[in-house]
Amino acid sequence: MIVQRNKIIRVVIGKIGCDIHERGATLLALTLRDAGMEVIYTGRYQTPEALAKVAIDEGVDVIALSDHTGSMRYIAAGIIEALKKYQMNDIRVIAGGLIPKKDIPILEKMGVTGNFGPGTPFHVIIEHIRTRVEKG
Amino acid sequence: MSARILDKNITFDRYSGGMVRSETQAGIPIKVVYDPKDIEHIEYKRDLADPGQYPYTRGIYPEMYRNKLWIKSFIVSYSTAEETNQAFKDYIAAGQTGLRLNADLPTQTGIDPDHPSAWNSMLCGGISSYSLDTYEKMLAGLPLENVDYELAHSSISSALLFYSFLVALMEKQGLSIANLRGSNINDPFRANIVYACPDFPTEIARRGCLDLIEFGVKNTPKWKPYAPNGVDPQQSGMNTIQEVAEVLGVATAIYGDIIRERGLKLDDIGATVFSMDAESDFFETIAKFRATRRMWARIAKEKLGATTERAMSLRIGIRTSGLSLQTQKPLNNAARVTLQILSCILGGVNSIDASSIDEAIGLPSREVRIFNLDTQHIITHEANVPLVADPLGGSYYVEWLTNKIEEGAYKLLDEIEHRGGMWACLESGWLRSQIEESRFKVQQEMSTGKRLVVGVNAFQGEEGPISRAIEHTSYRVPSKKLRLQTIAAIKKLRKERNQQMVRSALKEVYQATKEGRNIVRPVIEAAKAYATMGEVVGVIRMAYGYGYDPLGQISVPIFIDELTRG
Repeated sequence: MIVQRNKIIRVVIGKIGCDIHERGATLLALTLRDAGMEVIYTGRYQTPEALAKVAIDEGVDVIALSDHTGSMRYIAAGIIEALKKYQMNDIRVIAGGLIPKKDIPILEKMGVTGNFGPGTPFHVIIEHIRTRVEKG
Repeated sequence: MSARILDKNITFDRYSGGMVRSETQAGIPIKVVYDPKDIEHIEYKRDLADPGQYPYTRGIYPEMYRNKLWIKSFIVSYSTAEETNQAFKDYIAAGQTGLRLNADLPTQTGIDPDHPSAWNSMLCGGISSYSLDTYEKMLAGLPLENVDYELAHSSISSALLFYSFLVALMEKQGLSIANLRGSNINDPFRANIVYACPDFPTEIARRGCLDLIEFGVKNTPKWKPYAPNGVDPQQSGMNTIQEVAEVLGVATAIYGDIIRERGLKLDDIGATVFSMDAESDFFETIAKFRATRRMWARIAKEKLGATTERAMSLRIGIRTSGLSLQTQKPLNNAARVTLQILSCILGGVNSIDASSIDEAIGLPSREVRIFNLDTQHIITHEANVPLVADPLGGSYYVEWLTNKIEEGAYKLLDEIEHRGGMWACLESGWLRSQIEESRFKVQQEMSTGKRLVVGVNAFQGEEGPISRAIEHTSYRVPSKKLRLQTIAAIKKLRKERNQQMVRSALKEVYQATKEGRNIVRPVIEAAKAYATMGEVVGVIRMAYGYGYDPLGQISVPIFIDELTRG
């Protein structure tokens, strides 16, 4: 896949399962929009399969996962598996929320980056997304 | 002697760390000092009165905490029934006086653990209490009569099922359900604006809420079947003034419906408890409780026709702010929670569920829970704080601030009425927009340095070994193995229960729902037959013509499809 420089970055923000904490997800959506990205927020109660489909149909560059239950490693595993199934593993996956520190290496190994905790300044997340998209 | 050389990296500023704000968290501008002129329009008997006297600004009991401390309560809900049961026993031994129950997120959503959307949140936030047998294990050996049980769940289906589990347990043991004590949040507004609970659309949620109040008043008179909740709307973004208006608006709307549609009087319903938030702004929080009691007394009397002291005097149950707790330098959370508890006691509340210092990281671990109780014991026995009722009553500042919050909340209540009332404001999305606006304002204040949070956007510093230890000891989410075991357990239950009993009980739930009868008794009987959360939610939805699964992912089980046809 050829990455066009300066193209508008498309991001889908998704919440998988029954976690209701959506402050982070909604604020991130507004902030990424203001930073010039195209943002889709799926809302709560999604399945990994459905989120992967949205990401593929919408042609996004990045899937941003948000979760506050401590279950990110299970959620991310589901997404990666779904992307593999559709052979779309070039979509980058980043994560944020309440992520146990000991799970971060596990997530990184899966290719899930960022793994931002609460209170992370938004410019750090924006920069991370841009870098990952540019790297291809 | 060698010359002193100044380290160039050190810049000393006598004024560093100074105040950046001249308003409360809710944005009320504050003067440097208050004096008698600020409270000259207050009439003692009319606006304050002694504790135990209308309008209860100073507290609802004449002797306040001398006779009766606040209930020390907190949510106890771990991944398994056995673990939760043991934790309750340990905490009771350490001084817990109210039992607050919760469930994991899928169960609160109205789905069973074997639903495809359950896996990723299963056993997170608590036990998967999908049927009565989980309650039998969770409460084994614990008293059921005359203990305060608080149901803290998000959805109306949870309010309905878990109340039914408690009643079913008592009836199965031959106990009198008239001795069931405690409260049920049962708030369809919070279920919608905060949680977007998919279990029931608003029409069913509203009906379930009213059925629970009606059944509760008639059958479990010591139980408070309804506790409008301001905690979660505020945690989602509302400020203090919005919280007060929201919770009073919700109470007025629901009680208005109950009086009009079910022929009950507020006096029959008895005491009302509001579940409220304790945020970090110390004086604003104290003033809020005083203002809310006074406003409720007047609304109950003037708008809802209450005549008894019990109906006019508001109980306030607290959950201290989880949102205020930070993952950065979690040791600091001890200071936050302690101040919040103190503001509750100075504000005369009736029960406290204090958050734990590791709560921003995971579910509370045992030691911090005990620390939590000990903080309250220290405030009581060492700091001697509860000796005097309403110790800040008469303070120029606190009385002025109490009035100010009242004024702001009445203004919002007027606006709600103007917009067609609470139900209309729910349907139009206006209530949700209130949350979003405030949420965004707080975020902007934080990013521009107008609101400082220690460790987050100010005073970041390094974390030391104590903070790291807190991070390591907080309770972790359950493993894959436990999740698989939970799925196996529900499958086993479905196979082994008395199928005929489940069928006829669920059929009765379906028919009662369809025919507009009160559904609580049929749900209790379904609970006794070990019907599950997902099944009860499903048949109620189907009786209204909705699909079985709230998330639209699974098809209706064959036996349920049959019983809803026949």
